Amino acid sequence: MAVLTPDMVPAAVATGGSARVNVEVTPRFKPGDRIVVRNINPAGHTRLPRYVRGKQGVIQHDHGVFVFPDTQAHGGGPKPQHVYSVRFAAHALWGSEVSSQDSVYIDLWDDYMDPA
Amino acid sequence: MNGIHDVGGMHGMGPIVREDNEPVFHHDWERRVFALMISTFAGGQYSVDEVRHAIERMDPAHYLASSYYEHWLHAMETLLVEKGLLSQTELEAKRSQLAQEHS
Repeated sequence: MAVLTPDMVPAAVATGGSARVNVEVTPRFKPGDRIVVRNINPAGHTRLPRYVRGKQGVIQHDHGVFVFPDTQAHGGGPKPQHVYSVRFAAHALWGSEVSSQDSVYIDLWDDYMDPA
Repeated sequence: MNGIHDVGGMHGMGPIVREDNEPVFHHDWERRVFALMISTFAGGQYSVDEVRHAIERMDPAHYLASSYYEHWLHAMETLLVEKGLLSQTELEAKRSQLAQEHS
């Protein structure tokens, strides 16, 4: 079993064990692409908030490749894939009573989205 | 999981209270929970995603009534028992012993 020794502590606490992985994976989207979020409701772990499922947004920024939490939480392996900052118009999520100027940015994995 | 943790957009939860000069830990036991979590991670016992899911699986009423580091403690207990490193009996025995020492 691996053991945490005192000299390892500062680095472990400072980095927090990033989920970023250094592997080449082809991104499914690029900034500017319009997407629709998949309406998935897994009984297991997901990082996809309920309030964006089925909604349309626009890819703003590609963060790079990260472990996929939905499989990693259940022994299904890291399934590395791109994570993007995705912009949703506030009124697309919360209706016409909210400001048309406001947006919500959410980090989403490739497997959460389809082209709109 | 469509659980209690996914509260985005929910009404009636009250304002987010910000504490001036908030300390990293409010109680000494929270330091210990933090250290246990880091060391069990380093020992390769579980991934951060398993920990998050263990928190999501908490009883919803307990989740809402408990603090951040109580969530961490609950997740560690759940996972270490599920993975066979601790038994529920050992946990209960230690709880009873501590309760007696502090009564």
